[in-house]
Amino acid sequence: MTILRAESLSKSYQMGEIEVKALQDTSFEIREGEFVVILGPSGSGKSTLLNIIGGMDLPTGGKVFLHDEEITAYNERELTEYRRNKVGFIFQFYNIMANLTAEENVELATEISQNPLPIDEILEAVGLADRRDHFPAQMSGGEQQRVSIARAVAKNPEILLCDEPTGALDFHTGITILSLLRKVNRDMGKTVIVITHNADIAYMADRVIKMRSGRIIDDHINENPVAVEEIKW
Amino acid sequence: MVTHRNRFKIHKIDTMLMRMIGNSKGQFIAVLTIIIMGIATFTALNMTSVNMDNTVDTYYRENNFPDLFLQTAAVPSQEAERLLRIEGVKEAMGRVTLDVPMVTENENERVNLRLITTTGHQEELSRSTIIKGKMISGDRNEALLIEQFANARGIKVGDSIKIQVGGVQRTLKVSGIVANPEYIYLMENVQSLVPDDKTFGICYVSEQYGQQAAGLIGSFNEILIRYDENVDEEALIDEVEDTLDIYGVKQTVKRKDQLSNAIIDQELTQLDTMANSIPILFLLVAGLILMMMLSRLVKKDRIKIGVLKAIGYRNSQVLMHYVKYALVTGISGGAIGALLGMALAGGMTRLYLDYFHIPLLRIEFYYSFLLYAVLLSGLFCALSGIIGARGVLKITPADAMHSEAPKSGKRILLEKIPFFWKRLSFSNKMVSKNIFRNKKRTLFVLAGITLTYAMMLFTTSMPDVMDQMMTDHFKEFQKMEYNISFRSPVRQDAVRDMEHLIKVNYIEGKLEYPFELANGNKKQSVNIIGLDRNTKFYSFHNVRGEKTEIPKRGMLISENLSTALEVEKGDLVQIKSYIPGKADVYIQIKGIIKQTLGINAYMDVDTMGELLLEKNVVNGVYVNSKDPDINEKLIRAANIASIMSVADTRAVYDQYMTMMALSVGSMVIFSGILGFSIVYNATIVSLGEREMEFSSLRVLGFSKREIFYMIVRENNVIMIFGLLLGIPVGNIMAEYSSAAFSSDLYTLDMSPTVNALIMAGIYTIGFVLLAQLATYRKIRKLDFLQALKNRES
Repeated sequence: MTILRAESLSKSYQMGEIEVKALQDTSFEIREGEFVVILGPSGSGKSTLLNIIGGMDLPTGGKVFLHDEEITAYNERELTEYRRNKVGFIFQFYNIMANLTAEENVELATEISQNPLPIDEILEAVGLADRRDHFPAQMSGGEQQRVSIARAVAKNPEILLCDEPTGALDFHTGITILSLLRKVNRDMGKTVIVITHNADIAYMADRVIKMRSGRIIDDHINENPVAVEEIKW
Repeated sequence: MVTHRNRFKIHKIDTMLMRMIGNSKGQFIAVLTIIIMGIATFTALNMTSVNMDNTVDTYYRENNFPDLFLQTAAVPSQEAERLLRIEGVKEAMGRVTLDVPMVTENENERVNLRLITTTGHQEELSRSTIIKGKMISGDRNEALLIEQFANARGIKVGDSIKIQVGGVQRTLKVSGIVANPEYIYLMENVQSLVPDDKTFGICYVSEQYGQQAAGLIGSFNEILIRYDENVDEEALIDEVEDTLDIYGVKQTVKRKDQLSNAIIDQELTQLDTMANSIPILFLLVAGLILMMMLSRLVKKDRIKIGVLKAIGYRNSQVLMHYVKYALVTGISGGAIGALLGMALAGGMTRLYLDYFHIPLLRIEFYYSFLLYAVLLSGLFCALSGIIGARGVLKITPADAMHSEAPKSGKRILLEKIPFFWKRLSFSNKMVSKNIFRNKKRTLFVLAGITLTYAMMLFTTSMPDVMDQMMTDHFKEFQKMEYNISFRSPVRQDAVRDMEHLIKVNYIEGKLEYPFELANGNKKQSVNIIGLDRNTKFYSFHNVRGEKTEIPKRGMLISENLSTALEVEKGDLVQIKSYIPGKADVYIQIKGIIKQTLGINAYMDVDTMGELLLEKNVVNGVYVNSKDPDINEKLIRAANIASIMSVADTRAVYDQYMTMMALSVGSMVIFSGILGFSIVYNATIVSLGEREMEFSSLRVLGFSKREIFYMIVRENNVIMIFGLLLGIPVGNIMAEYSSAAFSSDLYTLDMSPTVNALIMAGIYTIGFVLLAQLATYRKIRKLDFLQALKNRES
């Protein structure tokens, strides 16, 4: 069953004095429960795509549907509701709040969502039960990224959107984070979309979408996704 | 599914807020201090003002304070009763008022007592309140003494005082110490300027005693009237004056013009103005600081804001997160300030009541002010918060994901002047660029320093201004050493007789009587002074500063009188004569003169006698004399009503100046704290914004001290401009205040003096430097390398 569908998306924006065409005529479909890797070098438009899917940005042209709801037709308030309840974000640089503890960072998200999962269980699941009272400055990068995952998952969203989740981490930590994401995908049945420039991560995906210069150049189902532990880069 | 929602739980976004406040304690406290000061002033002054208004009203009501005072020649006792027939007159009574010298052990001391008759009845107008002792009884030689005077001279109930009446020494026994609403502010006359409780007092005596002492048996020389509310005052006064005209009405004084009441009214109005202007100034500054802080914080928190929005926080929730910072400051500052203000209000009211000797204590706490204060400061800060943090709305969650596009660099104005620019060192170029780069902040600091300096200039000018006013009046305008008034007029040649009494260097006779001057419906009671046309005791200058002489016919009037009557040179004014049978006279104004103290008209002494009184008389003299025993000699003379020594007046005034220095001092500290907070906060904000720049400089090899000096130099350049701008701004404030503070009693010219320019400059520089020293600690604590790392991530 299709959970997310994009039709002819395009996006251009001003950056300083330059106009950037970040996305051009992009269409694809993602099925419920899939682990999707969107692959592409920097500047290929994958972050822009993620922002639009995540309801954080609006396209210049085209449409995005979650189930059959067109999110690109949402007004600002509806978009906020969408971000609040339907999607969870995981960022490359974790972006957790420096002056909140691990647990409080998770609560920051659950407090505003309609249907949150129990925090204790989530912290346990991401392996942070004993670090719950630590502030970000007292945690390693991997632990901070776990907080970020816990924060995204605890809202109980339909889709997890991950922007280079291992980009700032060493190899081993990166692998543990990917397996955590896989676990969330498999055990909780969440659709996970990871954008990365790291081609090796694509081996674990159910679906791989490749991008270059703002366009999709390949979109295929990976018939034999490998176990996370087998990935190397 | 377990939800973690709890009604009473603190939301995590608020936890973040509290920790954010905790991390910027210095700035938070700096803003809080300003708000507390502003709100405490607001609450304390407003509550004191309301309490004082109520107390004075109650005091006036309970003691039957009259609506009208008429100074007359002898009015037969039964006439007062007749006034009751006039419609609108509620109460009327007569009394005798007589100024006499008091005999003291120090023969060189001049002490005047005003004898006022009292019936002691409960319903008497202008009734006294007994503070100690008892009312006068049947004994004719008993007297009541006003509290201020009794305290100042250490006179107690049961003591005796000696007075000189008509050349005869008499003794009065003090049976009670009293307070009276007519003399809350105990001043002999307008010229006194400041009260001197030691040399002028009020002594209440029995009607019989007073009438006999004044030679007015069966008569009064003052009529007091109370009238119904909503009565046509002017019409009623006309009717009363008409009724008493045959006995001679010298002066009619309305309640609002009664000296003590007028001064208190002015003090209370000033209090009220202060209560509502100073706090607004403080709140404005606090608001500006909050705006600046929040706008910078929002810029710094771009990613955090993006993340919050990405998680699903609404625009309004994120905006509120920052506005709450301002709101917390506003509400906590408001509450602390209001409580502090309330605590101060009690003491302040008591201080005022003590100062004025009002024998009532009505300190009520108006809790509504607490609410007002918190609301006022909360709203003010919330508004500043919204304006400061509105940048939140522009940040989209997607924006937060990528770093900010570099700002396009621009050349500053100075760079276009190569001659100048090329000669600047690298760090001076940095300093100049920074000043121009953030124009808003530069303007804010500039405005802050300008305001601080202008306020300091204004306050430090006050003592000099007052001193100048005294010098202008008592040295430049008047030049006599003694001003002696006679009890009754004498022939002009009698002036020479004075030379037999005292050693005289120079003497001139004078006429000085109160008259009502009128121009249409504009009326003003003033003393007309008749002088020798070649007087050496006065030096008149017109409004353009040109020397002016007393005309043979016509008169000169002071500038404030011309304003009050709306007359110009060449106009005629009507002078109502109080001498029975004498018709009203019209006299032409021949010149308008500058006079800093008092409101007067001046004429040739002969013309004045001829037109308004009788020919060839004087009722006083001006004397320059080095006679050390002048008081002692004159006090015994029968016809001497008062001796005023200019040196004594100045001495009293100098004492008053010490008190003033205190209030000037507190204003300087107030202004200083404002300046301090502005510079401190602006610098801290600037530090935060420029962490990257400073970090790069550190990597280049600049020391913390060098970076600190760079910031100090930036602030100092702004300070120099601030000081320069402060001069005209201070001048404008002075001009505005000159108009606001000037009254019938005095005309103030508050232009800042050179001394004040220097002192205010020193104070301002001191506070600005102090603020910068306070920021040095922050610079030392800044982890420059960490700042560089943060930006990379």
